[in-house]
Order: sequence, then C-alpha cells, then structure tokens
Amino acid sequence: MRKETILPESKDTAFRDLIIKSPGGEKIPTCMQCGICAGSCPVSHEMDYTPRQLVRMIQLGLRKEVLNSNTVWICTTCFSCSVRCPRGIHPTELMETLKPIAMSEGIRNKNAKFDNVFSDVIKKNGRASEFLLISKYSLSEPGMIKQAPFGFSLFSKGKLPLSVDKMEDTGELDAIFKLGEKTEEKAETKTNPGKKETGEKENAEPETEK
Amino acid sequence: MKYSYYPGCAQHGTAVDYRMSVGAVFTRLGIELEEIKNWNCCGVLHVDDRTTRVALSARTLATSKGLDVATPCNLCYSNLMRARTALEDVTLKNRINEALKTKYNGNTKPKHLLEVIVKDFGLAKLGEQVKKPLKIKAVPYYGCLLTRPGNEFDSPENPMSLDNLILCLGAEPVRYYYKTKCCGGPILITDEELALGLARDILMMAKESGADCMVVTCPMCHLQLDAKQKAVEAKFNIKIDMPIIYFTQLIGLAMEIPPKELGLDKHLVPTDKLLASIEGGKNAGE
Repeated sequence: MRKETILPESKDTAFRDLIIKSPGGEKIPTCMQCGICAGSCPVSHEMDYTPRQLVRMIQLGLRKEVLNSNTVWICTTCFSCSVRCPRGIHPTELMETLKPIAMSEGIRNKNAKFDNVFSDVIKKNGRASEFLLISKYSLSEPGMIKQAPFGFSLFSKGKLPLSVDKMEDTGELDAIFKLGEKTEEKAETKTNPGKKETGEKENAEPETEK
Repeated sequence: MKYSYYPGCAQHGTAVDYRMSVGAVFTRLGIELEEIKNWNCCGVLHVDDRTTRVALSARTLATSKGLDVATPCNLCYSNLMRARTALEDVTLKNRINEALKTKYNGNTKPKHLLEVIVKDFGLAKLGEQVKKPLKIKAVPYYGCLLTRPGNEFDSPENPMSLDNLILCLGAEPVRYYYKTKCCGGPILITDEELALGLARDILMMAKESGADCMVVTCPMCHLQLDAKQKAVEAKFNIKIDMPIIYFTQLIGLAMEIPPKELGLDKHLVPTDKLLASIEGGKNAGE
C-alpha cells in the first residue's frame, strides 16, 4: 500500500466532529484498532479501506479519502462489525452517515445511482416494484442488460410482475422525504472542506474519554 | 391472536411463494394477520437519508391500530426495530411526527413472523399441528438482519429459534457455521460479482453439511440463494442443487398442506427431490 505523510491541511476536524456526533459515532475516539470489525466484515477484502482503517481515518479527519472510498458503498449492512465492536462503535451506522454526505458532494458511482433511483421510486409510489427499479437503473447502467435472462426466469415463475405497485394514497410521502432534505442541508453547512486546523494536538487522541 | 401485518414490497413481487405459504399456514394456525392499509416501503438499505428512513418506519408503526406489527421480511423487520430505537430520541420523534398524519407514539412493537410462531404461538402448540414429521436435514439460515443489530428474541451470534423450529417439525437442524453470515443480497444489483461469491460460501457450506435443504426467513436471502443459485453455479463452475425453503413452507409441509398451495413450484431451484424424500419419510437421522 502507498505510504505518504498526512499533512495538517488534509485533516478536517469539523468533518471528524460531525461524524463523531452522528448515531453510532460517539465512541470513535476510543477505537484501539483491534480490527474485529475488519475481521468480521464479509466484504472487507474488496474495500479500499477496511472498517478499521476507515475509523482511524475519521479520527484523523481525512475527509476526502473517507468520502471517496468504496468502503461505504460495498458495505452490505450486515451489522457484524457493530455487534462485535468492543468499544461500542457502530461502523455500519457510520457507513449510513457517510453515504448522504458523499452524495451531497457529488459522488456518483453505480451504488449511489441505484440508491437515487430507489429513493425516487419510493418518493413517488411509496413502494418498490422490482421491474420498475431495474428498468430505471438500467438507463444509467447499460450493463444491466446482461440480467435480462435472469429477469425472464423470475417472470416465468410469476415472480416479476410488470405492473407498478403503488400506495393507494401517497399524500404523506412529500413531507416524509422533505425531512431528509433538511438533514442534508445541515450536513453541508456543518462540515467545511479545506478548513485549516488551528494548532490542535494529534487528532486521534481521545479527548473526552476517561 | 391478532397482528397488524406489514408484508413489505417483496411479497408483491419476487416473494409470491413466501406470501402464499404465510397465508396458508397462518390461516390454519388461527393467527390473524390484518394487512396495514396503505402501507409504505421501509426504505430498505437504499433510502440513504436516515431521518427519512426512520420516518417511513415510524409511519408503519403508527398506522398499525395499536397492534404489534408482524412482518415476514428481515430487512423490514430490521428497519422497524432500528426506527423504534431511534425514535426514543424525543426531538427526532417530534420532528418526524410533524410529517405524519397518524402520529407515532411508541406503543406498537415490530415482530418477525418467526418470532410470532416461535415465541408468541409457541413451539409446543405448533408441535400439535405436525401431521407429518419431516425426517430431513435442514440448514437453519438466519441471515443478517433478523438478529442484528439487535432484537429481543434471539442471539445475534448464535441464534437458535429456527433450529428449534426445524426440530419441532421432525427434521434435523444441521450444524452450520454461517447461520448469520451475509448472503450478499443487498449488493446483488450493484456488485454482482462480489455478491455471488458470498452466496457461494453460504451454499457450499450448506452442501458440505449434508443438508437436504436450507431454511430461510427473508425474501432477499431467498432471491439470492434460490434465484441466483444457477448464476453461482455458472460463475464458479460448481454444482450445488440446494433447495431453499421459507420457514413457513417448511411448517406447511409438516402440516401436510399441498406443496402447490405453499408456492413450492415457484422456486428456481427445483424442490421435487426434497418433496419426494419428505413423502418417502427419508430417515435423515442415521
């Protein structure tokens, strides 16, 4: 792995503090790098940074590296790391905190695209229909055409209705999804990319824990 | 016994077999599942904003007319459970309630159908309904989100409720080390290669255990392990041929409900051999 010095200007303490304040992040300063999260993770071998490394990078405030890693997107949300962490950190929750922040900063990988398609469908119909989802996602990921035979095998068993499942009354959805827009704005104003550090001591040192 | 029923989106699509077996079994057991009117998706793992996702589940719990909310899906169940925990934060609860017509008050509890059967209905009572002890070996596969991040009815590391259910139906739960390992379902669409590798591990471990079938509690696990099994075989050039059965289908078989009524002809991995060995009373114990 590539090794380089971490420069003070690449550390973003506002980002670090935002993540520490998020659900499941309170105990980040206490991480002792034991690696049980990485060892428990079914997909850590495919990640740019394992959950253990990601937690360390958050301690250091390496905002850019954290938000650009594939780690948050590959996570299958299985919670193995969360139930095993001896310090009470919830890496799974962290991934969920980081996804919207990464998206608000312009990350547009295939996972983000799928999540966007999914959210749009739910916002409009209130329910997910597999056929509609896959069709919409295929528009941005043409490689999905390879899945056509699989789709047909489901269809032939009556498992892929072509009709769109929809709530009878979708009246509340707008208000529900507006809640999220407010959260996103908050995240954007709270972290400030490129903010210089002002004579702080080593970021990773636990500051508040006894 | 009566519950508000939250089917989740898969029941209207890929999990039609699960829906059929739930209907057939619960009606016969006299457990009433009243579908929540105008229910909404839980957001699964793909509505990325946390507040929105909690609000989607808050709406479900709020519209259950004071009854506990029974759901057949591990993903829905996990989201409902997590939302319930998150909503203990009064500020968040008030903010979300502003968006809801029926306000969330925390009086209703989410329950997975497995919990309804094993804990509320009870295995002793279920045992009385067994007409045909199954005499097969079965893998108890719980998946991730039934027991994690945490519920009040089984262990996140070594759950036993499904093992005990299989035993109650006259079958043998095999020793299986990947009971709660991820099947890859959530990343199936976006990272298929990786997802198929996870499914291979789960399926091969099941095959090596000598089991006749795997028993699942989640439509996502079923899609991944049954519908995608052929793709796993092709990608890794292996033969697996492992029937994947919903726990409700297994109960139905032990109650001698016709397999067709349980949707067993709708699987992509054929279940004929399994049904024949159940029919023939194959003795798995020896």
